[in-house]
Amino acid sequence: MTLPYGALVLEHFRRPRNQRALEHPSASHEGFNPLCGDRVRIELDVDQGAIRAAAFTANACAICTASASLLTERVTGMPLDTAARISDGEALAALESEVPAARVACALLPLTALREALREALRAPAPAARASAP
Amino acid sequence: MDILEQLEQLRAHESRVAMATLIAARGGSPRPLGAKLFVGEGGRLLGSVSIGGCVDARVVEHGQRLLRENKAERVTVTVDDAEAVELGLACGAEFDLLIEPIGLAHTDPAITVYETAVKMSRSGQTAYVITRLPAGGLPVRTVSTRPFEGSGANVFVERIAAADTLVLVGASDVGAALARQARTLGLRVVVVDGRERYATRERFATADELLVGMPSDLVRPYLVAGAFLVLAAHEYKYELPILREALRSPVRFVGMLAGRKRADGVRQLLRDEGLTEEELGRLHSPIGLDIGGREPEEIALSIAAQLIAVREGKPIAHRG
Repeated sequence: MTLPYGALVLEHFRRPRNQRALEHPSASHEGFNPLCGDRVRIELDVDQGAIRAAAFTANACAICTASASLLTERVTGMPLDTAARISDGEALAALESEVPAARVACALLPLTALREALREALRAPAPAARASAP
Repeated sequence: MDILEQLEQLRAHESRVAMATLIAARGGSPRPLGAKLFVGEGGRLLGSVSIGGCVDARVVEHGQRLLRENKAERVTVTVDDAEAVELGLACGAEFDLLIEPIGLAHTDPAITVYETAVKMSRSGQTAYVITRLPAGGLPVRTVSTRPFEGSGANVFVERIAAADTLVLVGASDVGAALARQARTLGLRVVVVDGRERYATRERFATADELLVGMPSDLVRPYLVAGAFLVLAAHEYKYELPILREALRSPVRFVGMLAGRKRADGVRQLLRDEGLTEEELGRLHSPIGLDIGGREPEEIALSIAAQLIAVREGKPIAHRG
């Protein structure tokens, strides 16, 4: 099989990491591209300000699926504020491929969904605070 | 079209109809027992108890008479036209029909019973309408969730089963045409897509459900025995996640719109992921009987024909 991308994209499309649903995610967001129909849902398990686990579900093209796989690998164990600072350029560079302009939105869809999930995680009260609430 | 939809259609023009129900057939019948023909007081006809011609015409005559007389009758129609028999063109069958006048208001006892039964079937339950035929009186009906276990010449039981479900992924033009055709064939149609611009009520006016979201999530509850799954999106992004589960599920039929080369490519990807040859062998792709059409309505017709062949257990259902 040949794809117009590098070996890394092909590897993460064929054998995606973290492609599953978390049982009790602390935060999640589903992003979609209304033009091409890509859909990707990012789920986070957050503990003490850091991402304990990140997972995704995708009905998406190869570049989007590979991007979600690489991104969830990267942010696992990362503090929330560090993950929130991942730039578009970093996400694209992680693919180690020339991404055509027409596919940039596909490649960045997981990052867009991650940012929304992080906002949700940052808004949610910490479990300890919830436990001590009257 | 189920009986409630037929009655709804009749209400636009009629207030009373004669309802003819096929209750017995000898010598073969092209229609199943329970088939109905409605004869309107204003002359409109809807449905059939045979494949047309002489039988239905005679039933219409009886229906008009019984509407005038306002009574129910068990009628036997024999296909014994002497000329047709002589020419070897008569089927020689004999049909028993229950013909009765009914008012189309929702308060008519027959209507009430069928409304209850069809609502049960639409919710996934099988309903049985048990009709007793007293001598000289109007039929008396009850609805049950269990088959009638008694016997007798004056009892007729109709099984109103839940409609088979077609789960159609891909709100394409082929999908839209198939949704329309499948609905007229009595299937419950669930349309799934990830794209809001395609999956609209305007394009899928007759679909029973129209679901937009993550297709593999939306399809999952429908991967049950008896359901037909057709992937008409022509998008591997939807096909692969759905096929991974569908080919390992008890779903009755899995078909995918694709040319042979593309279908083989999808099979290879799934094979590499660990699906077995037996699982991959369940995928019908290219889908549809090979009737040669290229337009969406024609492709949809070829798929609909294959679904019927699968339902009827015909060898042609398995395209080589």
